[in-house]
Amino acid sequence: MNGSLSRRQQRFRLTGIQINHFILMVVFLFLLGLPLIRMFFNLNRKSILSVFQNPSFTRTLSNSIQVAGISTLITLSIAYLLAYCIERTKIKHTGTISILLVLPMLIPSISHGMGLILLFGNNGILTRLFALNTTIYGKWGIITGSVFYAFPVAFLMFINVLKYEDSAPYEAAQVLGIPRWRQLTALTFPYLRRPLISIVFAIFTMIITDYGVPIIVGGKYSTLPVVLYQEVIGQLDFAKGSVYGVLLLIPASIAFLFDVLNADTGNTSYVTHAFELRDSKIREAFAYIVCALGCLIVFLPISSFVILAFTRRYPSDLSATFRNVLNTLNLNGSRYLINSITIAIAVAMIGTIIAFSTAYLTARVRTRYSKYLHLITITSTAVPGIVLGLSYVLVFKTSFIYGTLAILIMVNLIHFISAPYLMMYDSLGKINENLEAVGQTLGIGRLRMIRDVFIPQSKATIFEMGSYFFVNCMMTISAVSFLATTANKPISLMINQFEAQMQLENVAVVSLAILIINLLMKVLVKACTKRS
Amino acid sequence: MLEHTGSQQDLHDRHIKLRIERLSMQYDDTRVLDDIDFEVQEGEFLSILGPSGCGKTTLLRILIGLITPVEGKILMDGIDITNLPPSARGMGIVFQNYALFENMTVLGNVEYSLKIQKETRKIARDKAMSIIDHMGLAEHIDKKPVSLSGGQQQRVAIARTLVMNPQVILFDEPMSALDVETRLALRKVIKQIQKEFGTTMIYITHDQEEAFAMSDRILVMEEAKISQIGTPADIIANPANEYVSKFVIANLQEKIDSLSRYAKVLP
Repeated sequence: MNGSLSRRQQRFRLTGIQINHFILMVVFLFLLGLPLIRMFFNLNRKSILSVFQNPSFTRTLSNSIQVAGISTLITLSIAYLLAYCIERTKIKHTGTISILLVLPMLIPSISHGMGLILLFGNNGILTRLFALNTTIYGKWGIITGSVFYAFPVAFLMFINVLKYEDSAPYEAAQVLGIPRWRQLTALTFPYLRRPLISIVFAIFTMIITDYGVPIIVGGKYSTLPVVLYQEVIGQLDFAKGSVYGVLLLIPASIAFLFDVLNADTGNTSYVTHAFELRDSKIREAFAYIVCALGCLIVFLPISSFVILAFTRRYPSDLSATFRNVLNTLNLNGSRYLINSITIAIAVAMIGTIIAFSTAYLTARVRTRYSKYLHLITITSTAVPGIVLGLSYVLVFKTSFIYGTLAILIMVNLIHFISAPYLMMYDSLGKINENLEAVGQTLGIGRLRMIRDVFIPQSKATIFEMGSYFFVNCMMTISAVSFLATTANKPISLMINQFEAQMQLENVAVVSLAILIINLLMKVLVKACTKRS
Repeated sequence: MLEHTGSQQDLHDRHIKLRIERLSMQYDDTRVLDDIDFEVQEGEFLSILGPSGCGKTTLLRILIGLITPVEGKILMDGIDITNLPPSARGMGIVFQNYALFENMTVLGNVEYSLKIQKETRKIARDKAMSIIDHMGLAEHIDKKPVSLSGGQQQRVAIARTLVMNPQVILFDEPMSALDVETRLALRKVIKQIQKEFGTTMIYITHDQEEAFAMSDRILVMEEAKISQIGTPADIIANPANEYVSKFVIANLQEKIDSLSRYAKVLP
C-alpha cells in the first residue's frame, strides 16, 4: 500500500524535465502569444469601420490577392521546371547550378525590388541598353519582383519533393505498359498534391505579406502590407495597422492549419529506389538551356548592384571606384552593419540553443506536454514578420527594451525559430530511439548523453540552424521595421532610407554587403560541416 | 571478471537471481501485463517467447527499470529493486537495433560508460580492449558503427553491456534484423558468454526455434499472461494448452524444417 502511494505521488510530482517544458512554453507564449493578443485588443470598431469603408480598401485587397496569386503561379511553374531539370535529367554540375539559383535567397526582398529599378527603371541598365519604353512600376513590377523573391524558396521545396519521390511505382507502371501521360495523372499528381498545396500556401503567404517589393516598384499600385507599413510608419495609426495585421494573419493561418492537420498523415515514405534517368541528348540540352537562362536572370539584379556600387556615377561616369562603399559606411552604414551582425550572431547562438533544447524535449523526452510545446513552437510560422513587428511595437513601445538591440534579437528569434526547430526535431527524431534506455542502464546521465552523443550526432543540423538564423536576421526587413530606431537599426533597413533619398548607389552597396556576408556565412558553415 | 566461469551445478540447486511477483501493467484501460509471477535462476538462460503485442517488451522494460509497474514487485537476490533506477540494478540491455553511439568508435562505445564511472583511462581502456578482443572485434576498434555489419554492431552492443559486468543481461529480440548465418554465429557467442561469465540472461523473442535452441527454460506469453514456463523438453512433452501447442510447437516444426532445408545448401 505504502509503495503504491509513493508511486502515485511520484507521478504527480513535477520532474525537472516537465519544468523545462513549462519554462519554454512560457517563454514562447510571452514572446509570441502576448504580443498577438495585444494586437487583437488594439482593434476597435472605429478603425475597423474606417478601414473597411474606405473605398480604396477593396482595391488594395484585390490588388494583393491578384498580385500574390499570379506571382505564386509563375514562381511555382518556373521553380518546378528548374527543379525538374536538376533532379530528373542527367545534366552535370547540378550542385553548382542549384547554389547559383538560390543565391537571391540571401538578400532582402526590398533588394529584389531595387534590382528591378536598377535594371528597368527610367535610367535602368536594360532600359538604356535596349531602349525600352515600358514602365516597371505597378502591378507587373510587383509580380516580377515577387517572383525573384520567392523563386529560390519554391525551387528548394520542389527539389526536396522530387528528391524523395520513390521511383518504384514508375518502374512498375513501365513494366505494366501504362502510358506516360497516365503515369502523370495516376502517380505524379497524387504524389505531388499534398506537398504542392503546402508549397502554394507557403509561397502565396510569403508574397502577400511582403512589403519590400511593392513599396519599391508598386508605384500607385498599393497592397495590404504596404498600407499597413504606411499607416504605422507614416501616420502612426496603430489601430488601423492592427486591422491590416489581423487580415494578413489569415492566409498564413490557413497555411499553418493545413500543415498541422496534415502533419500526421504526411509523406513519410523513404526512397527505396533512385530514379533511373534516361539518356536523352535533347532533354539534357533543353535542361542546360533552362538552367543557364535561370542563372542568367537570377544574376541580372546582382550584377546591376555590382555595376552601381562600383562605378562613379551611373550612367554618366562609369569609371571604377570604391567611393560608394566608403560613403555608405560613413553614412552610419558601419554602425548599422555592426548592429546587424551583432543581432545575427546573438540570434544564431541563443536561437540555436533554444531550438535545440525545445526539439530535444519534444523529440526525445515526450511527456504529455511535448505536443503543446511542439505546437506553440511551430505556430510562429503562421505570423508574418510585419504583423509580429507591429504587435511588438504595441507591447514594448513604452518599455525600456524599445530601441535596444535586445528587442530586435527577441523578435527575430521568435520570427525565425520554427524552421530551425523543425530541422532539429527531424534530426533528433531519426536518432535511435533506444539510446536513452541504453544511457540509463549504463548510468550515463541525460546531460552527458546530450553532450557526448546527441550534440555530436546532430552537429551538421546545429550548424545549419545557426546559419539559418544568421542569414535571415541579416536580410530581414519585416519584423524589425517598426522596432528599429536610429540606435538599433539593422543595415537591411538602410535600403528603405537610401531609396527614399534616391541614393541608389548606397542601396546597391548595402544589398551586396548583405549578400556577401551571408555567402561567407554559408561557406563557413559548409566548411565546418565538411570537417566534422 | 573474465575468470568467473559458470558453475556446472544442476539448475535446481542454483540460487534464485530474480523473483517477479504479481506484476501488472496497464495503459489507460488496456491491461498489458496481468499478474505475472516467475523466477529466474542465477546463470540461467530464460527466453520469453510470444507474438508481438503480447506484452513481452513491456515486461522487459519493467525488469530493467525503464517503466514502473502499476502493481507487483521485482526482487533481485531477495532485495526489492522495483523502484531502483536502471543503472543501479546491475543489469545490461541489448536491443534489436543495436542503439550504438554512432559518433564514437567501437572502442569509444565500449569504454564510454567506464569513463563516466570515473575509471582511470588505463583501466577503462584495458577492460574495454579485453572485452572487444573476446567478442572478436579487435581489428575493428577504430571503426565507427556505420562501417560495421549488423552482426558486428550487435557484438559491439553486447561488449558495451558486458564491460559493465552486469549480473543479468536482457536481450530485446537482438537478432530480428540479422540474416540466418549471422544469427547462428551470434547464438554461439551469446551462449559462450553465458557459460564463461555465468551471466543470467533473459532473452525476448518471437522466434520459436531460437528460443528452443538457446534456452534453459522458456516462458511462453499470450496476451499479457504467462501460458507456460518450463524447459524446452517440458513444453514439447506437455504443452499447457492449445495455444502453446499451436503457436509454439506447430510453428517450431515448420521453422526447423525450413532451417534444415537451408542447412543443406550451406557449404
